[in-house]
Amino acid sequence: MNLTLAYHPVETLRFGAATRLDGTTVEINADELRTLLLEDEALADVALEHVAPGEDCRAGPVFDIIEPRAKAAGDGPDFPGILGPPLTAGKGTTHVLSGMAVTVLDEHAAGGSRGSIGRVLEMTGPAAEGSCYSPLHHLVVVPRLAPGKDGATAQRAKRVAGLKTAVYLAQASTAHAPAESRTFEPVDPGPPGREGLPRVAYVGQIFSRQRRAELDEPVLYGHNTTGMLPVLLHPDEWLDGAVVTSYYTSMGGAETYLYQNHPIITELYRRHRAGELNFVGTVASIAGSDNTDRDRNCRTAASLVKWALNADAAVLTKYGGGVPHADLAETARLLESEGIRTSVMVSDVSRDRRVESALLFNFPEVDAIVYGGGNDTRWEVPPAGRVIAATPAIGELLAGARELGAMNVAGVTNQQGASRLRAVVY
Amino acid sequence: MRIVHYLNQFFGGIGSEEEANSPLQEADGAVGPGRLLEQTIGDGATVVKTLICGDNHAVEHQDELVAAVVERVREARPDLFVAGPCFDAGRYGMAAGALCSAVRSELGIPAVTAMHEENPGVDLYRESLYIVDSGRNAAGMKQVVQRMAGLARKLVADEPIGTPREEGYLTRGLIRDRFVDRSSAERLVDMVLAKVQGQPFDTEMPITSFEPVAKPRGVDDISKAKVMLITDGGLVPKGNPDNIEGMAATRWGAYDISQADDLAGDDYEISHGGYDPRFVQADPDRLVPLDALRQLEKEGVVGKVHDEFLSTSGLSNPLSNTRRLGREMAEKVKQEGIDAVILTST
Repeated sequence: MNLTLAYHPVETLRFGAATRLDGTTVEINADELRTLLLEDEALADVALEHVAPGEDCRAGPVFDIIEPRAKAAGDGPDFPGILGPPLTAGKGTTHVLSGMAVTVLDEHAAGGSRGSIGRVLEMTGPAAEGSCYSPLHHLVVVPRLAPGKDGATAQRAKRVAGLKTAVYLAQASTAHAPAESRTFEPVDPGPPGREGLPRVAYVGQIFSRQRRAELDEPVLYGHNTTGMLPVLLHPDEWLDGAVVTSYYTSMGGAETYLYQNHPIITELYRRHRAGELNFVGTVASIAGSDNTDRDRNCRTAASLVKWALNADAAVLTKYGGGVPHADLAETARLLESEGIRTSVMVSDVSRDRRVESALLFNFPEVDAIVYGGGNDTRWEVPPAGRVIAATPAIGELLAGARELGAMNVAGVTNQQGASRLRAVVY
Repeated sequence: MRIVHYLNQFFGGIGSEEEANSPLQEADGAVGPGRLLEQTIGDGATVVKTLICGDNHAVEHQDELVAAVVERVREARPDLFVAGPCFDAGRYGMAAGALCSAVRSELGIPAVTAMHEENPGVDLYRESLYIVDSGRNAAGMKQVVQRMAGLARKLVADEPIGTPREEGYLTRGLIRDRFVDRSSAERLVDMVLAKVQGQPFDTEMPITSFEPVAKPRGVDDISKAKVMLITDGGLVPKGNPDNIEGMAATRWGAYDISQADDLAGDDYEISHGGYDPRFVQADPDRLVPLDALRQLEKEGVVGKVHDEFLSTSGLSNPLSNTRRLGREMAEKVKQEGIDAVILTST
């Protein structure tokens, strides 16, 4: 393994005659990129706009946010299993355009609890201050679907358009010397010289079977996760495109950008490097659709942590909505019963702001809980000077002064560990 | 800062238990702990009126006491109402809680009290009030008054109140959001490292334990019993006639099944956003097992299947709401003379 990330900081985005990296400026040949994206016959057209940090701009609904990255020649496919064969990610060098993101918009907000505007990218003002995405430059990709293309075909088209754009942009950097590069430390179940340090694993849900995955919905190496049992992943596989978010997220959200920059994996690496712990590996799991499915998944995940990783401790995260709390807690309970200490991160489910409604489990041993907030943070935001949306109707909804809840702003709440919003008991 | 202070007969200097029946009386200025309170808050804080009542009188005539105290506080127009500290005196705590709560809600005047964690007043009023943790007895008076003074200053100035640990009050059992410096990833790793190394750590959410539900007496003779089906899986007739919300439902419905032996997917829909509904949509008996129950009815195993089933959606629903839904449904069950209920979930 030993992934190397070669960082090229970006300070300016502009459209121009050629797609190239010039110092810290990324110039984008919009026609060339559009032609590349329109190879997908599900797309009738695609609009491209760039946005800078601090700009009076609101865009939405957000389908996904991706960091532009491209593998160095010969080091493996980009987004394996989706844009290339499903070969192991996390090897060799990957070039990164840091300080920017590709943000793909949806034609309409996914239904349900987050209201008709879905999650928005807010670039300035009070709501932007809480988001990890507002300090970035964004190339906003607005796919317009060909007539009759909807459902799974449309979702797949948006997913692929975002990833292709991310790779296309970063390919402009692969011939350049990076400003900074970082090689991740070796991580394996039995590294020498780290005796006495707690052996810590990460167990992360990447899908919830509260909804059926589309047949061609790529989540793990292009696989839709249906029928999968928890698997061991090297941390660098998460960071290097093996995992992308599913088509729908809820209760805090998850974006591909934060798999590429996984806050928990990078934090475990930081402590590993500092000699505070021994990061022994990760398990990717899913939340089940029923009790049998849940038992099977949780036991497999716990067995991998115990028998394959021989961990002393594990940190666990969930995906999706309410039910995955049960899978999270059951996995932690099984680990605790094997003497493996755990901490878990859960979403804010307390709509009445009472502690009694805050948890969907109560195992005494699952007692180290990081609790994200979100249900009572909202901002009155002013009209946006510039709005980017796929349809005039949504554009109109976004343009005016309105209330924005924390869960409606991409990057404020998050299930991958990026959020600085927490619930405080009083 | 103008303060009205409530004390029981003991701290009000009237007497001990033999004076517990003494009715409400008032004194101008500070009495007993009120003097310490004035000094501790400082900055010209004045107890303009002290109201004193015997503990027995207070609990035996609580409604009258509350009305009288609210009236006198209204007349005195203070910036703050203080009751106690009550320590582990149960009757005193009950009265202090009721008075603080009434003054706050009826007059909009901030209120502070102090009690021991096990004072019965805590259970009743902890959610609506800031109750300073006083410990069991008056030995800690000085420290308790300091905490009350700290909270009082912030409440009167309408400043943000810190956590129970920072401010010294008993947890109200409520949650609010706060932006913090450390990301959730950093906090998650902090916590597991402390835990695995046997060091103390602070969970961000305490685990709530619930009173076990007592097992009811069994059905005497199921072959004579009237059986009802209830689900929280969100099964509703096509068109969702009662508009039962797909999450955080505030309503439930009762739906006629008297003419059916079997539920058909074409007649129903699922108002529940939290599970993959395909299998139930294809055959609703998977959630509401009418077909199997009818069979048992025909065979005489159960007496009668009730003519309606009850349904709501059990997703992301706060307990304060589900308790009400449960009570309403239980009322319906009683009304209909049901002997046994089969509850199905997802």
